[in-house]
Amino acid sequence: MSRFYHFDTIALHAGQAVDGEFGARATPIYQTTSYVFPDTDTASSTFNLERSGHVYSRITNPTVGVLEQRIAALEGGSAAVCTASGMAATYSAIIAILSQGDHIVASSQMYGGNISLMKNTLPRFGITASFVDPMDIDGFRAAVQDNTRLIYGELIGNPGLDILDLEAIAEIAGEHQIPFMVDATFNMPYLCRCFDYGVNMTIHSVTKWMGGHGVAIGGVVVDGGNFDWGATDKYPTITEPYAPFSGMNIWEEFGPSAFATRIRCEAMRDIGASMAPMTAFLLLQGLETLSLRMDKHISSTKVLLEYLQAHDQVAWVNHPDLPSHSGHELALKYLPKGAGSIVSFGVKGGREAGKPFIENVELASHLANVGDAKTLIIHPATTTHSRIDAEALVAAGITEDMVRLSVGLENVEDIKADFEIGFRAAKRISDT
Amino acid sequence: MGFSTRQIHAGVTPDPSTGSILTPIYQSTTYVQKSVDEYLEKGYSYSRSGNPTVKALELKLADLEGGAGCAAFGTGMAAVQGVMLAFLNAGDHAIISDVAYGGTYRLCTKVLSRFGIDFTFADTSKPGEVVAAVRENTVLILTETPANPTMKTSDVAAISKIAKANNLVHAVDNTFLTPYFQRVFELGADISIHSTTKYMDGHNATVGGAVICKTQELHDKVAFIQNSTGSIMSPQVAWLTLQGCKTLSVRMDQQSANAMAIAQFLESHPKVEQVCYPGLKSFAQHELASTQASGYGAMLWFEVKGGLVAGKRLMDNVELWSLAENLGSVESLITHPVTMTHADVEEAERQRVGIIDGLVRLSVGLEDVEDLISALEEALEQV
Amino acid sequence: MYFDIKGKKVFATTGGKPFDKDQPVVIFLHGSGLDHTFWGLHSRFFAFRKYAVLVPDLPGHTHSEGPSLTSIEAMADWLNDVATALDIDNISVVAHSMGCLTALEYASRFPTRIRSISLITSGLATPVNPALIEAAENRPDVAIAMMLGWGFGTAGHLHQGPIPGNSMLAGGLKVMGGNVPEELATDLIACDTYGSGKLAAEKLRGPIQVILAGKDRMAPRKATAELVSHLHEPEVHVIAGSGHMLPLEVPDECRKLLKNFIFTNNTSS
Repeated sequence: MSRFYHFDTIALHAGQAVDGEFGARATPIYQTTSYVFPDTDTASSTFNLERSGHVYSRITNPTVGVLEQRIAALEGGSAAVCTASGMAATYSAIIAILSQGDHIVASSQMYGGNISLMKNTLPRFGITASFVDPMDIDGFRAAVQDNTRLIYGELIGNPGLDILDLEAIAEIAGEHQIPFMVDATFNMPYLCRCFDYGVNMTIHSVTKWMGGHGVAIGGVVVDGGNFDWGATDKYPTITEPYAPFSGMNIWEEFGPSAFATRIRCEAMRDIGASMAPMTAFLLLQGLETLSLRMDKHISSTKVLLEYLQAHDQVAWVNHPDLPSHSGHELALKYLPKGAGSIVSFGVKGGREAGKPFIENVELASHLANVGDAKTLIIHPATTTHSRIDAEALVAAGITEDMVRLSVGLENVEDIKADFEIGFRAAKRISDT
Repeated sequence: MGFSTRQIHAGVTPDPSTGSILTPIYQSTTYVQKSVDEYLEKGYSYSRSGNPTVKALELKLADLEGGAGCAAFGTGMAAVQGVMLAFLNAGDHAIISDVAYGGTYRLCTKVLSRFGIDFTFADTSKPGEVVAAVRENTVLILTETPANPTMKTSDVAAISKIAKANNLVHAVDNTFLTPYFQRVFELGADISIHSTTKYMDGHNATVGGAVICKTQELHDKVAFIQNSTGSIMSPQVAWLTLQGCKTLSVRMDQQSANAMAIAQFLESHPKVEQVCYPGLKSFAQHELASTQASGYGAMLWFEVKGGLVAGKRLMDNVELWSLAENLGSVESLITHPVTMTHADVEEAERQRVGIIDGLVRLSVGLEDVEDLISALEEALEQV
Repeated sequence: MYFDIKGKKVFATTGGKPFDKDQPVVIFLHGSGLDHTFWGLHSRFFAFRKYAVLVPDLPGHTHSEGPSLTSIEAMADWLNDVATALDIDNISVVAHSMGCLTALEYASRFPTRIRSISLITSGLATPVNPALIEAAENRPDVAIAMMLGWGFGTAGHLHQGPIPGNSMLAGGLKVMGGNVPEELATDLIACDTYGSGKLAAEKLRGPIQVILAGKDRMAPRKATAELVSHLHEPEVHVIAGSGHMLPLEVPDECRKLLKNFIFTNNTSS
């Protein structure tokens, strides 16, 4: 159907009506706090969701709205809500449906911030979590308790790169009438559209590949619109009257976008981790080239995988595209274009050798982000996952010699040459 | 409506499609036309030729200055250049304040001179010298008052009369006092030039310029240059400047009051040789400064006893005051014009116009004036 | 709210306010394969202005118990059963697409209950391409893609929506995806076989409003012109830039027209 546009077209056009005022081709940056109403009735009825429009930029903003609709369209979701960061997205999404006494079953291999949120922060408010090895499907089923209200995971685990079997987990979630939420930052809808496999909502740190240039922090929650909230009484925040909006029943009135509407009405309004218009503009710029960039990220990753596997100074290489990877079959199923541009490998000589490697490369930047246009490397045990105890570190699949590589868009020969310098420095240490 | 109301509301109306109270940042190169026949119906085609955010600032500045139109430029220098290109051809001659900003001096002597344009740098504080400088091929007078950094003040009304009598265009660089203090069109000038980088923005956030013309005819000529040379202002800069303009009057009032207090403090300090601030009774042209403008501004200079060596010591040691170029911002800045802003002006010319080696320029900001004074006091102690 | 009609569970939203049958009533009727969410913003607008708002899911659709009704006449009967069960009159009917055929049939047979009729993007009849019916029965994804591709204009194709952050196209996909294959196919056949539109239209008296879309690819201009020509003194509006899904695509314009018409012809307290 010609009017169901393809990914690249959606990435350029979705959500944007050409500016009606002057016809501006780019999305105007609505750097404004508020919106002038012609009369009080318009004001109150816009707030009360009786008509479309904007009230205050903490809740909605026209520039941010374009990004939201564009990401919803790319992901195949019914609605999206952008937030100030990826963590704000995770937090806003969870508190939209969970309350005191509720429980989460989560993958043990996730971004450290997600683990910390569920292990340290949410328990203070009576929301607890059980963590299960992502390869242990039966473990997920066993971990579901009477009060479990959410299953949470990452398709490509961080930093171990295990692959979560989305359909198997979705089936467990369906059996218990629990939604399945996935942090899809590492795969983006370009590599895998999670909703096609039964996932109910996704979270993204838009900071990463979606924005792609390391210039702005932002997050998004996408509502898959495919969870039947009304089938159970487990989710009163969605199915019971919501007092601040005159007893609005969000599920009955907003159906496929009920979850996103709850985030908008509560997390954006009461907590306000909203995205800035300028951030949305910058991320929209990045999103326009997502497919072009991803193709290059993926092709360079394949070249570097071969290079690293053949290298004397490399103890091991881990990437789901390698047949040796435990999730290789799942990667072929869920990530046919390629399992992302994050690679982990061990430098021969362990922790002692990893340090000079990182300190001697000059093109690859040593920092705690991923998904930049530039190549990035980090030593997780001492940085991103340093706040996690030793036991959890092992559970998360992190070894002391692990270097995590986020493959950038530089000429891949230059990346190789840069690594040679690092490996020579590592060799000097391990030789002495 | 009063200035304070206009500085907030002029040029800006709520966005019709969303009600957004602020003009959106139209960070867009081009504009989609409804049809071939309706080309330019909404007024925009390409952002060099016009941009809705930049237009809002132009309307505001035109309104504040009381002109027929405004053209915004990428920098204050681009604005000065825009005026020169709009009115000067090869073989023409212009009279420029001999104490104009160093960049203006450089533009005239090193750039426009290459295209056959002649300049006379005249002491515009003496109308007689201006009269004497007028030639048959003179078409433009550019007055900067008060001058940077000497604060020498030129009589805008008197020079405008000379311009009129000789059929010349009189442009005034009104950056230092802004239309809030100095109404150059009411004094008879034809064009007002601004580095919006200074008081219009006020927060050290942007670099920009603007030319406001009294008549549409003059404006059309400047706007033509704005579009054909393309030294335009960006939408982001225009948007930030729009925000800055909203507090122009309150900043000018407070920064001027701070400047007066600092000038008085310096004048009474034993280690200070001389202080130059139009608000001081000791200022040679105090009467002209008092009648020509409704405020004295926030720029002043002084010389420490001990000249250049002592001045450098003070500037290197003073806290709170940032050693930096630029002026007009809420942050107080201290500058050594001889080595910084006016380094491109030959030494002889500097000496002639009064930019002495020990001259320390102050751009007084919005900090608590007690803090600014005690910082200077401590630095003076170390001299 | 839920209520029973002939032993079958029926769901209707009431626009966020309790249903007060003593107020003037506005019933919103959705089109083929859709449900109550189509009328989200508009239903709230009237509910918060002292109207008793009822937005039912047709039998078989989303929350209402099946089976689907197989003819427009049956839908009209069912609608009358709803009005009888809830004991309501003074009804303003607002209908979209297939809902318009039901509204024509219902109002012509039970005129005393009707106060005003608003018909949005419909003709007098809705002949359906056999290929679409075939697709609805056997390849529902294809049928939905065809209907939403034709149904939406540019704004819909580009995933805009009346609520910031929401994609009306994706929302439509989710709703229709839940109402296939049986409901959608049955709806389309009901539309295709309905032949009494002309007769029904000519019988109608009282305030009638027709809101048409300039870029409608589902209800062609010829069909809508025929509807208008057989109605008695209709108030006709055309929103040039909109597609068939007009209440979603141009919610503000649509609301203003509905508001002016209903506030005038069925005044609430």
